[in-house]
Amino acid sequence: MDDRAQAAPGRPPGKTQAETQAGTQAGTQAGTQGITQAPLRLGRTEFAPGRLLVMAIVNRTPDSFYRPGLTWDEGAALERVHTVVAEGADIIDIGGVPAKPGTEVPVDEEIQRTVPFVAAVRAAHPDVIISVDTWRKEVGRAVCEAGADLLNDSWSGWDPKLAEVAAEYGAGLVCSHAGGQAPRTRPFRVSYTDVMADILDRTLELTAHALQAGVDPSRILIDPAHDFGKNTWHSLEVSRRLGEMTATGWPVLISVSNKDFVGETLGAGIEDRLAGTLAVTSVAAWLGARVFRAHNIVQTRQALDMVAAIKGDLQPARTVRGLA
Amino acid sequence: MINRAVLCPSPPLLARGLTGRDPAVPGLRAACTAAVAWLLEPKPQRVIVVGPAPATDDWDPTGRLDLSAFAPALGHGRKPGLPLSLGLGAMLLDQVGYAGTRVLQAVGEGEPAGQCAQLGAVLAAAGESAAMLVLGDGSARRSVAAPGHLDERAVPFDDEVVRAVRDGDLPALAAIDPGLARELMVTGRPAWQVLCGALGPGRPVTEVLYADAPFGVAYLVARLDPGRRPQALGLAGPPRFSPGHWTTNGARRTRSW
Repeated sequence: MDDRAQAAPGRPPGKTQAETQAGTQAGTQAGTQGITQAPLRLGRTEFAPGRLLVMAIVNRTPDSFYRPGLTWDEGAALERVHTVVAEGADIIDIGGVPAKPGTEVPVDEEIQRTVPFVAAVRAAHPDVIISVDTWRKEVGRAVCEAGADLLNDSWSGWDPKLAEVAAEYGAGLVCSHAGGQAPRTRPFRVSYTDVMADILDRTLELTAHALQAGVDPSRILIDPAHDFGKNTWHSLEVSRRLGEMTATGWPVLISVSNKDFVGETLGAGIEDRLAGTLAVTSVAAWLGARVFRAHNIVQTRQALDMVAAIKGDLQPARTVRGLA
Repeated sequence: MINRAVLCPSPPLLARGLTGRDPAVPGLRAACTAAVAWLLEPKPQRVIVVGPAPATDDWDPTGRLDLSAFAPALGHGRKPGLPLSLGLGAMLLDQVGYAGTRVLQAVGEGEPAGQCAQLGAVLAAAGESAAMLVLGDGSARRSVAAPGHLDERAVPFDDEVVRAVRDGDLPALAAIDPGLARELMVTGRPAWQVLCGALGPGRPVTEVLYADAPFGVAYLVARLDPGRRPQALGLAGPPRFSPGHWTTNGARRTRSW
């Protein structure tokens, strides 16, 4: 409670305004150098700033954009969870509604898709971090009851009461930017004077709101939300300037896996975006992002471990070359 | 006089910090630690560390290995680092908590056999009750995957070294041809020959604790107990390596006996 009382709105715990501003300048020029990141708490675990986390996507939908229906069946979905945990995922992100427009999924249907599954994952993996991708407070409340640790609000506080649910259950909250768009809408001729400035304004407004609602400041993340309310140019700009987000001191989550901006940049179809995804992932990790939402866990884990070793945050696995 | 001696290899990967998350060579490290612990059992008045280096030289006994020379991410040492072999010797002594007097003696990679033996005799004669920790490796050309690729002569050469150590056959070590050793990328030769000079005539009781080449370089860990034996080898004429008469600049010299 002390942290909460002392933290000014929109500013992470333990940072003065001067520090935040100095950090912003340094971050713009040189990634994360000189930026103090606080530990991130999710569930019962505290993650040090140098620890890069993989958030594995497990959708309980028949129609998500990447390999639709892969984990629509609950048995297949649970099997997928076992696999990604074994592959090194730290967080499971469960979604019941695709981001793209389509058949409406009512609240009770979303709850039906997610809540029993959250409970099943919690039972099978008591320590894994469970995140649920939702914008609805009713769903947030139900999944927190079932054991979720994090509410991944991809639609940027569309329902302001979601933060209150996170606070009530001691859950974490992702504060994202969607350019003011309603859930499940595509960007149509969106423009910004300065997309990164808009992202910072919105995500910091949401962190302030979350703090006010009583969310534990060590459980708040920010996410620029690539492709959400953005064209490919915007998402590339966000990727290039991600250091401005990490410089705020809030832990940054990125969700870029196999997305359209990767496909458009490379002229690559949905099944041919892994290399591009890993490139964005690596640049973001270098610039200080800490959580990476991904479909391809083994490759993402490897890319992140490589970046962490370059940064000096992770020891290489085994080094004997030239040392024998 | 030398009352115990130990042979250890000198690959950088002996330093645990250099192999990453995997210990890579836990058995080798354990053998070295066991050998050094045995070396110190009689509580010697000093430990003489002998290892190959570009030049014969006497190094600051407070020196340490600078891991940053091999892994910049591991940070810089507090002062200019020792040559690899001596640095690893100092590390092994630190690991068993040895805080007594140390002599860190580098022996030049090209030092002729006779000069090595003379240096050994001088080191042994310089005080009472010394233990000698000798660093160096066999051939680095044992296989196509070895650092120096394959030389067919490498394995027989190393086998003969192991046999000589096992049998306490010091004359065989003293007779190793420096030219052949150089061709086979054998780093241990001059240090082994210093040991021969230090122990003098007689056949030490030995035990080989480790003899393997997991990366194509021959590593040998052995203990040598000279036991009771005649006076150390007498020297004809003034030795080249007499106390206080060293061959290189004084910057590294910290003591003159």
